[in-house]
Amino acid sequence: MAMALAMTTDCASSRWSMASLKSALPPLASTASSIRYPCHRRRSSSKCPQLVRSFTGLSPVNPLHSLGSSVTQTLADLNSFEHNFTIIDNGFKVYAMRHGRRVPKLNRPPDQRRALLRCLTTQLLKYGRIKTTRARASAMRKYVDKMITLAKDGSLHKRRQALGFIYEKQIVHALFAEVQDRYGERNGGYTRIIRTLPRRGDNAPMAYIELV
Amino acid sequence: MAVSVDPLVVGRVIGDVVDMFIPTVTMSVYYGSKHVTNGCDIKPSTAINPPKVSIDGHSDEFYTLVMTDPDAPSPSEPSMREWIHWIVSDIPGGTNPTQGKEILQYMGPRPPVGIHRYILVLFQQRGPLGPVQQPASRTNFNTRRFAEHLNLGLPVATVYFNAQKEPVSRRR
Repeated sequence: MAMALAMTTDCASSRWSMASLKSALPPLASTASSIRYPCHRRRSSSKCPQLVRSFTGLSPVNPLHSLGSSVTQTLADLNSFEHNFTIIDNGFKVYAMRHGRRVPKLNRPPDQRRALLRCLTTQLLKYGRIKTTRARASAMRKYVDKMITLAKDGSLHKRRQALGFIYEKQIVHALFAEVQDRYGERNGGYTRIIRTLPRRGDNAPMAYIELV
Repeated sequence: MAVSVDPLVVGRVIGDVVDMFIPTVTMSVYYGSKHVTNGCDIKPSTAINPPKVSIDGHSDEFYTLVMTDPDAPSPSEPSMREWIHWIVSDIPGGTNPTQGKEILQYMGPRPPVGIHRYILVLFQQRGPLGPVQQPASRTNFNTRRFAEHLNLGLPVATVYFNAQKEPVSRRR
């Protein structure tokens, strides 16, 4: 229970005992990633929405839960598309500034951002080398590496996870077929970014990203 | 992160096509009015004709120029690496390839899928070469083997550019 959120429960220093608290509460629903919070609310109440999602309507939101019990836990960020993409974020200190926040927003709301990154990784795996802006290229490295890692594992479950992320299924099957030959010995770092001249229309810094 | 700033290393030209070398001759390549720098974008429509290559060097030195594409047919699956586009030998120093002997006729870039690198490699010949046999096919060419076969040694100059298939309708 609550494994979908991938919490690390080494919260020995929290004021409440999480184990007893969780056992007392009704069973949690799975990560409702369909709940989207508008971005302007995120900064002011970044702790409450996380726990509200986990308790989806089965128990009332208690702000005391969120305040005390989340000091040392790692929760899924709104940017995690699936539970194995959790991001360790800033340890629940809410700053007015952006200090320590490492998730690239790409000037888009979360659903469009997710679609953009899925699209870019699909295209990179299809064409081998693409030219985009530098911010997008460095943001998509993580997802390309994840896809190749899934392919290296090769089991049915991983294949289905990859099919849920990449838009074209032929690419997934081709990737799973050939990744052992290409990346069998390489540990990580499956992409390379080469910076290039800025784009003429808006002077955006461009880069080639290619599969190593 | 690139551990080297040399664009030929960053673009993996050194590694895929040639070995590490020390450039001793400057070669400038022009397609029309566009000067080719490492990693620049050239449209295939501007590259249908052979470029103007000017090589500086001694006029009694002979050079061989080779143009290949290591990303054929697609950069994610280069099964036909490398595709040879142009071979000219016996180019006297200080001139251009029109003064040399064209071993393999120039073929312009026509990348079907993805963004391809097109690499122009210049070798210095020990002496004038005799008649050089044309490679049997343009696919699966190996520049290193070709250089070894003709005893050319390491290259003296290299430049590369990128090209991709142009969309049929002009966007923007």
